[in-house]
Amino acid sequence: MMTEKEVIEKIRLLKQIKPEKNWVFLNKEKILGKEPIFFPFLKPAFAGLLFILIIFGLSFTSLPGEPFYLIKKLVERGQTVFVPEEERPKLELELANKRLEELSKIAEKNDVKKLAPAINEAKESVAQATKNLVKSKKVDKEIVQKTLELEKKKQEVEKVLGTKITEEGTEDPTKLVAKYLIEDFENRTLTQDQKQILEKAKEYFESGDFAKALELLLTISQ
Amino acid sequence: MDKLKKEFSKIYDKFVEKIFRFIFLKVNSKEIAEDLTSETFLRTWEVFRQGNPKIENVSAFLYQIARNLITDYYREKGRAKIISPDLGHPIADPRQNLEEQTILNSEMERIRKALSKLDEDYQNAIIWYYLDELPIQEVANLLDRTVPATRVLISRAIKALREKLNNQQLDNKQQTTNSV
Repeated sequence: MMTEKEVIEKIRLLKQIKPEKNWVFLNKEKILGKEPIFFPFLKPAFAGLLFILIIFGLSFTSLPGEPFYLIKKLVERGQTVFVPEEERPKLELELANKRLEELSKIAEKNDVKKLAPAINEAKESVAQATKNLVKSKKVDKEIVQKTLELEKKKQEVEKVLGTKITEEGTEDPTKLVAKYLIEDFENRTLTQDQKQILEKAKEYFESGDFAKALELLLTISQ
Repeated sequence: MDKLKKEFSKIYDKFVEKIFRFIFLKVNSKEIAEDLTSETFLRTWEVFRQGNPKIENVSAFLYQIARNLITDYYREKGRAKIISPDLGHPIADPRQNLEEQTILNSEMERIRKALSKLDEDYQNAIIWYYLDELPIQEVANLLDRTVPATRVLISRAIKALREKLNNQQLDNKQQTTNSV
Protein backbone atom coordinates (compact mmCIF):
# COMPACT_ATOMS: atom_id res chain seq x y z
CA MET A 1 0.00 0.00 0.00
CA MET A 2 1.33 3.39 -1.00
CA THR A 3 1.97 6.02 1.63
CA GLU A 4 0.13 9.32 1.44
CA LYS A 5 3.39 11.00 0.59
CA GLU A 6 3.80 8.67 -2.38
CA VAL A 7 0.25 9.40 -3.51
CA ILE A 8 0.92 13.11 -3.43
CA GLU A 9 4.09 12.57 -5.48
CA LYS A 10 2.06 10.64 -8.04
CA ILE A 11 -0.52 13.43 -8.18
CA ARG A 12 2.21 15.94 -8.89
CA LEU A 13 3.19 13.97 -12.00
CA LEU A 14 0.02 15.36 -13.52
CA LYS A 15 1.57 18.83 -13.47
CA GLN A 16 3.07 17.85 -16.77
CA ILE A 17 -0.34 18.22 -18.35
CA LYS A 18 -0.09 21.50 -20.19
CA PRO A 19 -1.63 23.09 -23.25
CA GLU A 20 0.52 23.62 -26.32
CA LYS A 21 2.33 26.96 -26.26
CA ASN A 22 1.20 27.76 -29.77
CA TRP A 23 -2.39 27.18 -28.91
CA VAL A 24 -2.07 29.33 -25.76
CA PHE A 25 -0.76 32.23 -27.83
CA LEU A 26 -3.29 31.92 -30.64
CA ASN A 27 -6.14 31.49 -28.23
CA LYS A 28 -5.21 34.68 -26.42
CA GLU A 29 -5.16 36.52 -29.74
CA LYS A 30 -8.56 35.09 -30.56
CA ILE A 31 -10.03 36.41 -27.34
CA LEU A 32 -8.25 39.72 -26.97
CA GLY A 33 -7.43 40.49 -30.57
CA LYS A 34 -4.00 40.68 -32.11
CA GLU A 35 -1.41 42.38 -29.95
CA PRO A 36 1.23 43.99 -32.13
CA ILE A 37 4.66 43.16 -30.79
CA PHE A 38 5.91 46.69 -30.67
CA PHE A 39 2.46 48.03 -30.00
CA PRO A 40 3.25 51.65 -29.23
CA PHE A 41 4.82 52.02 -32.64
CA LEU A 42 1.57 51.43 -34.44
CA LYS A 43 -0.43 53.98 -32.52
CA PRO A 44 -1.12 56.91 -34.85
CA ALA A 45 0.02 59.52 -32.35
CA PHE A 46 3.30 57.76 -31.73
CA ALA A 47 3.88 57.02 -35.39
CA GLY A 48 3.21 60.66 -36.20
CA LEU A 49 5.68 61.83 -33.59
CA LEU A 50 8.29 59.38 -34.81
CA PHE A 51 7.83 60.64 -38.36
CA ILE A 52 8.32 64.22 -37.26
CA LEU A 53 11.44 63.35 -35.29
CA ILE A 54 12.95 61.52 -38.28
CA ILE A 55 12.28 64.43 -40.61
CA PHE A 56 13.62 66.81 -37.98
CA GLY A 57 16.81 64.76 -37.69
CA LEU A 58 17.23 64.50 -41.44
CA SER A 59 16.84 68.24 -41.80
CA PHE A 60 19.83 69.06 -39.58
CA THR A 61 22.49 68.49 -42.18
CA SER A 62 20.52 69.63 -45.18
CA LEU A 63 21.78 72.48 -47.33
CA PRO A 64 19.97 75.10 -49.42
CA GLY A 65 18.45 73.42 -52.44
CA GLU A 66 18.08 70.08 -50.63
CA PRO A 67 14.72 68.51 -49.71
CA PHE A 68 14.56 69.07 -45.98
CA TYR A 69 16.16 72.50 -45.96
CA LEU A 70 12.84 74.27 -45.67
CA ILE A 71 12.04 72.24 -42.59
CA LYS A 72 15.40 73.11 -41.09
CA LYS A 73 14.63 76.79 -41.63
CA LEU A 74 11.17 76.43 -40.15
CA VAL A 75 12.58 74.72 -37.09
CA GLU A 76 15.12 77.48 -36.67
CA ARG A 77 12.41 80.11 -37.05
CA GLY A 78 10.35 78.21 -34.53
CA GLN A 79 13.21 78.41 -32.07
CA THR A 80 13.38 82.16 -32.40
CA VAL A 81 9.80 82.49 -31.17
CA PHE A 82 10.83 81.63 -27.65
CA VAL A 83 13.86 83.86 -27.58
CA PRO A 84 13.44 87.10 -25.62
CA GLU A 85 13.83 90.38 -27.50
CA GLU A 86 17.25 91.21 -26.11
CA GLU A 87 18.67 87.86 -27.24
CA ARG A 88 17.43 88.28 -30.82
CA PRO A 89 20.50 89.99 -32.26
CA LYS A 90 22.71 87.20 -30.94
CA LEU A 91 20.45 84.53 -32.37
CA GLU A 92 20.22 86.22 -35.77
CA LEU A 93 23.98 86.45 -35.88
CA GLU A 94 24.22 82.74 -35.11
CA LEU A 95 21.79 81.93 -37.89
CA ALA A 96 23.71 84.14 -40.29
CA ASN A 97 26.86 82.25 -39.29
CA LYS A 98 25.12 78.99 -40.06
CA ARG A 99 24.05 80.21 -43.48
CA LEU A 100 27.58 81.23 -44.28
CA GLU A 101 28.87 77.84 -43.19
CA GLU A 102 26.40 76.16 -45.49
CA LEU A 103 27.42 78.44 -48.30
CA SER A 104 31.05 77.71 -47.62
CA LYS A 105 30.40 73.95 -47.82
CA ILE A 106 28.58 74.33 -51.09
CA ALA A 107 31.30 76.57 -52.47
CA GLU A 108 33.97 74.04 -51.54
CA LYS A 109 32.08 71.23 -53.20
CA ASN A 110 31.49 73.45 -56.16
CA ASP A 111 27.86 72.40 -56.09
CA VAL A 112 26.65 74.76 -58.75
CA LYS A 113 22.97 73.95 -58.42
CA LYS A 114 22.84 74.82 -54.74
CA LEU A 115 25.01 77.89 -55.00
CA ALA A 116 22.36 80.43 -55.97
CA PRO A 117 19.88 79.47 -53.22
CA ALA A 118 22.70 79.33 -50.67
CA ILE A 119 23.95 82.80 -51.55
CA ASN A 120 20.42 84.12 -51.24
CA GLU A 121 20.01 82.50 -47.88
CA ALA A 122 23.27 83.97 -46.67
CA LYS A 123 22.38 87.46 -47.91
CA GLU A 124 18.99 87.32 -46.27
CA SER A 125 20.29 86.12 -42.95
CA VAL A 126 23.01 88.77 -42.82
CA ALA A 127 20.42 91.41 -43.61
CA GLN A 128 18.20 90.04 -40.88
CA ALA A 129 21.01 90.13 -38.37
CA THR A 130 21.72 93.73 -39.34
CA LYS A 131 18.09 94.68 -38.94
CA ASN A 132 18.01 93.25 -35.44
CA LEU A 133 21.14 95.04 -34.43
CA VAL A 134 19.67 98.33 -35.64
CA LYS A 135 16.59 97.68 -33.57
CA SER A 136 18.36 96.77 -30.37
CA LYS A 137 21.43 98.97 -30.60
CA LYS A 138 22.78 96.93 -27.72
CA VAL A 139 26.22 95.47 -28.11
CA ASP A 140 27.99 93.15 -25.74
CA LYS A 141 31.11 91.06 -25.91
CA GLU A 142 29.34 88.01 -27.25
CA ILE A 143 27.74 89.96 -30.03
CA VAL A 144 31.07 91.45 -30.95
CA GLN A 145 32.64 88.01 -31.08
CA LYS A 146 29.86 86.57 -33.16
CA THR A 147 30.02 89.51 -35.49
CA LEU A 148 33.73 89.06 -35.96
CA GLU A 149 33.16 85.37 -36.63
CA LEU A 150 30.56 86.26 -39.20
CA GLU A 151 32.84 88.75 -40.86
CA LYS A 152 35.65 86.24 -41.08
CA LYS A 153 33.39 83.63 -42.65
CA LYS A 154 31.97 86.17 -45.04
CA GLN A 155 35.40 87.19 -46.25
CA GLU A 156 36.49 83.57 -46.72
CA VAL A 157 33.43 82.72 -48.74
CA GLU A 158 33.66 85.89 -50.82
CA LYS A 159 37.25 84.96 -51.64
CA VAL A 160 36.24 81.47 -52.79
CA LEU A 161 33.24 82.69 -54.75
CA GLY A 162 34.80 85.83 -56.08
CA THR A 163 31.63 87.83 -55.32
CA LYS A 164 30.41 89.92 -52.45
CA ILE A 165 27.71 88.65 -50.12
CA THR A 166 26.64 92.07 -48.93
CA GLU A 167 26.38 95.01 -51.28
CA GLU A 168 28.98 97.77 -51.03
CA GLY A 169 27.92 100.72 -48.90
CA THR A 170 25.03 98.93 -47.25
CA GLU A 171 24.99 98.54 -43.54
CA ASP A 172 26.36 95.21 -42.46
CA PRO A 173 26.65 93.77 -38.98
CA THR A 174 30.32 94.46 -38.61
CA LYS A 175 30.00 98.12 -39.47
CA LEU A 176 26.99 98.53 -37.25
CA VAL A 177 28.53 96.82 -34.26
CA ALA A 178 31.69 98.84 -34.62
CA LYS A 179 29.66 102.03 -34.90
CA TYR A 180 27.69 101.28 -31.76
CA LEU A 181 30.76 100.33 -29.82
CA ILE A 182 32.55 103.50 -30.76
CA GLU A 183 29.57 105.57 -29.71
CA ASP A 184 29.38 103.66 -26.49
CA PHE A 185 33.07 104.15 -25.63
CA GLU A 186 32.96 107.84 -26.47
CA ASN A 187 30.41 108.31 -23.74
CA ARG A 188 32.53 106.55 -21.15
CA THR A 189 35.51 107.53 -19.09
CA LEU A 190 38.54 105.78 -20.51
CA THR A 191 42.15 105.45 -19.51
CA GLN A 192 44.80 107.03 -21.66
CA ASP A 193 45.68 103.70 -23.26
CA GLN A 194 42.08 102.94 -23.95
CA LYS A 195 41.62 106.35 -25.54
CA GLN A 196 44.50 105.66 -27.88
CA ILE A 197 43.05 102.30 -28.96
CA LEU A 198 39.71 103.96 -29.57
CA GLU A 199 41.30 106.55 -31.86
CA LYS A 200 43.06 103.84 -33.80
CA ALA A 201 39.79 101.92 -34.12
CA LYS A 202 38.05 105.05 -35.42
CA GLU A 203 40.73 105.41 -38.06
CA TYR A 204 40.12 101.85 -39.27
CA PHE A 205 36.40 102.54 -39.24
CA GLU A 206 36.77 105.64 -41.40
CA SER A 207 38.89 103.71 -43.85
CA GLY A 208 36.25 101.01 -44.13
CA ASP A 209 38.07 98.21 -42.32
CA PHE A 210 35.25 97.55 -39.87
CA ALA A 211 36.56 94.15 -38.84
CA LYS A 212 39.90 95.58 -37.77
CA ALA A 213 38.15 98.39 -35.91
CA LEU A 214 36.01 95.87 -34.09
CA GLU A 215 38.97 93.74 -33.11
CA LEU A 216 40.65 96.74 -31.55
CA LEU A 217 37.49 97.83 -29.80
CA LEU A 218 37.23 94.37 -28.30
CA THR A 219 40.56 94.88 -26.59
CA ILE A 220 39.28 98.01 -24.85
CA SER A 221 36.42 96.18 -23.16
CA GLN A 222 38.71 93.39 -21.94
CA MET B 1 -9.85 49.33 -23.12
CA ASP B 2 -6.13 48.74 -23.45
CA LYS B 3 -5.74 48.81 -19.69
CA LEU B 4 -8.43 46.16 -19.32
CA LYS B 5 -6.84 44.05 -22.01
CA LYS B 6 -3.48 44.25 -20.31
CA GLU B 7 -5.03 43.26 -17.02
CA PHE B 8 -6.88 40.36 -18.52
CA SER B 9 -3.83 39.29 -20.43
CA LYS B 10 -2.05 38.84 -17.11
CA ILE B 11 -4.97 36.85 -15.75
CA TYR B 12 -4.94 34.69 -18.84
CA ASP B 13 -1.24 34.00 -18.54
CA LYS B 14 -1.58 33.13 -14.89
CA PHE B 15 -4.50 30.73 -15.22
CA VAL B 16 -4.61 29.28 -18.71
CA GLU B 17 -2.49 26.24 -17.87
CA LYS B 18 -4.39 25.58 -14.67
CA ILE B 19 -7.79 25.82 -16.31
CA PHE B 20 -6.65 23.65 -19.21
CA ARG B 21 -5.34 21.00 -16.89
CA PHE B 22 -8.46 21.14 -14.70
CA ILE B 23 -10.70 20.60 -17.71
CA PHE B 24 -8.45 17.99 -19.29
CA LEU B 25 -8.51 15.85 -16.19
CA LYS B 26 -12.29 15.81 -16.39
CA VAL B 27 -12.81 15.33 -20.11
CA ASN B 28 -9.68 13.40 -21.03
CA SER B 29 -9.35 14.98 -24.45
CA LYS B 30 -6.87 17.62 -25.56
CA GLU B 31 -9.17 19.00 -28.22
CA ILE B 32 -12.17 19.26 -25.95
CA ALA B 33 -10.05 20.73 -23.18
CA GLU B 34 -8.80 23.37 -25.60
CA ASP B 35 -12.33 24.23 -26.72
CA LEU B 36 -13.70 24.47 -23.22
CA THR B 37 -10.68 26.41 -21.93
CA SER B 38 -11.07 28.86 -24.76
CA GLU B 39 -14.75 29.24 -24.00
CA THR B 40 -14.03 29.72 -20.29
CA PHE B 41 -11.70 32.64 -20.95
CA LEU B 42 -13.92 34.11 -23.61
CA ARG B 43 -16.89 34.23 -21.28
CA THR B 44 -14.80 35.58 -18.44
CA TRP B 45 -13.40 38.30 -20.70
CA GLU B 46 -16.91 39.34 -21.73
CA VAL B 47 -17.88 39.87 -18.11
CA PHE B 48 -14.52 41.34 -17.15
CA ARG B 49 -14.44 44.04 -19.78
CA GLN B 50 -17.95 45.23 -19.02
CA GLY B 51 -17.03 45.47 -15.37
CA ASN B 52 -20.65 44.80 -14.52
CA PRO B 53 -20.91 42.77 -12.43
CA LYS B 54 -17.39 43.31 -11.22
CA ILE B 55 -15.54 40.05 -10.75
CA GLU B 56 -14.36 39.93 -7.17
CA ASN B 57 -12.38 36.73 -7.40
CA VAL B 58 -11.20 35.98 -10.91
CA SER B 59 -9.75 32.61 -10.05
CA ALA B 60 -13.03 31.39 -8.55
CA PHE B 61 -14.92 32.82 -11.49
CA LEU B 62 -12.77 30.99 -13.99
CA TYR B 63 -13.05 27.64 -12.24
CA GLN B 64 -16.81 28.05 -11.86
CA ILE B 65 -17.24 28.79 -15.56
CA ALA B 66 -15.04 25.80 -16.36
CA ARG B 67 -17.10 23.54 -14.13
CA ASN B 68 -20.31 24.75 -15.72
CA LEU B 69 -18.94 24.12 -19.18
CA ILE B 70 -17.82 20.62 -18.25
CA THR B 71 -21.30 19.88 -16.91
CA ASP B 72 -22.85 21.24 -20.08
CA TYR B 73 -20.46 19.21 -22.16
CA TYR B 74 -21.42 15.94 -20.50
CA ARG B 75 -25.09 16.81 -20.59
CA GLU B 76 -24.92 17.56 -24.29
CA LYS B 77 -23.03 14.45 -25.04
CA GLY B 78 -25.66 12.53 -23.13
CA ARG B 79 -23.24 10.78 -20.96
CA ALA B 80 -22.37 10.92 -17.27
CA LYS B 81 -18.91 10.13 -16.00
CA ILE B 82 -19.76 6.47 -15.84
CA ILE B 83 -17.07 3.98 -15.70
CA SER B 84 -17.97 0.82 -17.48
CA PRO B 85 -17.66 -1.98 -14.96
CA ASP B 86 -16.54 -4.41 -17.65
CA LEU B 87 -13.93 -2.32 -19.33
CA GLY B 88 -12.62 -0.60 -16.24
CA HIS B 89 -12.11 2.67 -18.06
CA PRO B 90 -14.29 5.54 -19.31
CA ILE B 91 -16.07 5.26 -22.64
CA ALA B 92 -13.80 6.80 -25.20
CA ASP B 93 -14.93 10.03 -26.77
CA PRO B 94 -15.29 9.62 -30.55
CA ARG B 95 -13.14 12.69 -31.08
CA GLN B 96 -10.32 11.09 -29.27
CA ASN B 97 -7.71 9.51 -31.40
CA LEU B 98 -4.57 7.60 -30.69
CA GLU B 99 -2.51 10.75 -30.83
CA GLU B 100 -4.45 12.37 -28.02
CA GLN B 101 -4.33 9.27 -25.90
CA THR B 102 -0.58 9.41 -25.82
CA ILE B 103 -0.50 12.86 -24.22
CA LEU B 104 -0.14 11.09 -20.96
CA ASN B 105 2.35 8.41 -20.35
CA SER B 106 1.02 5.23 -18.84
CA GLU B 107 1.75 6.19 -15.26
CA MET B 108 0.07 9.56 -15.63
CA GLU B 109 -2.85 7.89 -17.31
CA ARG B 110 -3.17 5.54 -14.38
CA ILE B 111 -3.33 8.39 -11.90
CA ARG B 112 -5.72 10.38 -14.04
CA LYS B 113 -8.02 7.41 -14.25
CA ALA B 114 -7.95 6.86 -10.52
CA LEU B 115 -8.61 10.54 -9.91
CA SER B 116 -11.56 10.57 -12.28
CA LYS B 117 -13.20 7.85 -10.22
CA LEU B 118 -13.36 10.02 -7.11
CA ASP B 119 -16.25 12.21 -6.01
CA GLU B 120 -16.19 15.58 -7.64
CA ASP B 121 -15.33 17.44 -4.43
CA TYR B 122 -12.42 15.07 -3.76
CA GLN B 123 -11.17 15.45 -7.30
CA ASN B 124 -11.39 19.21 -7.19
CA ALA B 125 -9.77 19.46 -3.76
CA ILE B 126 -6.79 17.43 -4.98
CA ILE B 127 -6.48 19.34 -8.24
CA TRP B 128 -6.73 22.76 -6.63
CA TYR B 129 -4.50 22.07 -3.64
CA TYR B 130 -1.81 19.79 -5.04
CA LEU B 131 -1.74 20.60 -8.73
CA ASP B 132 -2.80 24.23 -8.99
CA GLU B 133 -1.27 24.91 -5.58
CA LEU B 134 -3.94 27.33 -4.60
CA PRO B 135 -3.80 28.59 -1.00
CA ILE B 136 -5.97 26.64 1.40
CA GLN B 137 -8.29 29.61 1.90
CA GLU B 138 -8.95 29.80 -1.81
CA VAL B 139 -9.62 26.07 -2.02
CA ALA B 140 -12.01 26.47 0.90
CA ASN B 141 -13.82 29.31 -0.91
CA LEU B 142 -14.13 27.26 -4.06
CA LEU B 143 -15.48 24.33 -2.13
CA ASP B 144 -17.71 26.59 -0.08
CA ARG B 145 -16.32 25.24 3.15
CA THR B 146 -14.33 26.46 6.12
CA VAL B 147 -10.57 26.03 6.11
CA PRO B 148 -10.55 23.26 8.77
CA ALA B 149 -13.29 21.43 6.89
CA THR B 150 -11.29 21.77 3.69
CA ARG B 151 -8.21 20.29 5.30
CA VAL B 152 -10.24 17.32 6.39
CA LEU B 153 -11.68 16.97 2.92
CA ILE B 154 -8.24 17.03 1.33
CA SER B 155 -6.98 14.41 3.71
CA ARG B 156 -9.93 12.16 2.89
CA ALA B 157 -9.45 12.76 -0.80
CA ILE B 158 -5.86 11.55 -0.63
CA LYS B 159 -6.93 8.45 1.24
CA ALA B 160 -9.64 7.77 -1.34
CA LEU B 161 -7.18 8.19 -4.18
CA ARG B 162 -4.70 5.92 -2.53
CA GLU B 163 -7.36 3.26 -2.31
CA LYS B 164 -8.27 3.65 -5.95
CA LEU B 165 -4.66 3.38 -7.03
CA ASN B 166 -4.26 0.36 -4.91
CA ASN B 167 -7.37 -1.24 -6.35
CA GLN B 168 -6.06 -0.52 -9.80
CA GLN B 169 -2.88 -2.36 -9.06
CA LEU B 170 -4.84 -5.28 -7.74
CA ASP B 171 -7.10 -5.25 -10.77
CA ASN B 172 -4.11 -5.24 -13.06
CA LYS B 173 -2.55 -8.13 -11.23
CA GLN B 174 -5.84 -10.02 -11.39
CA GLN B 175 -6.07 -9.45 -15.14
CA THR B 176 -2.55 -10.61 -15.65
CA THR B 177 -3.24 -13.73 -13.63
CA ASN B 178 -6.47 -14.40 -15.55
CA SER B 179 -4.85 -14.01 -18.91
CA VAL B 180 -2.18 -16.50 -18.15
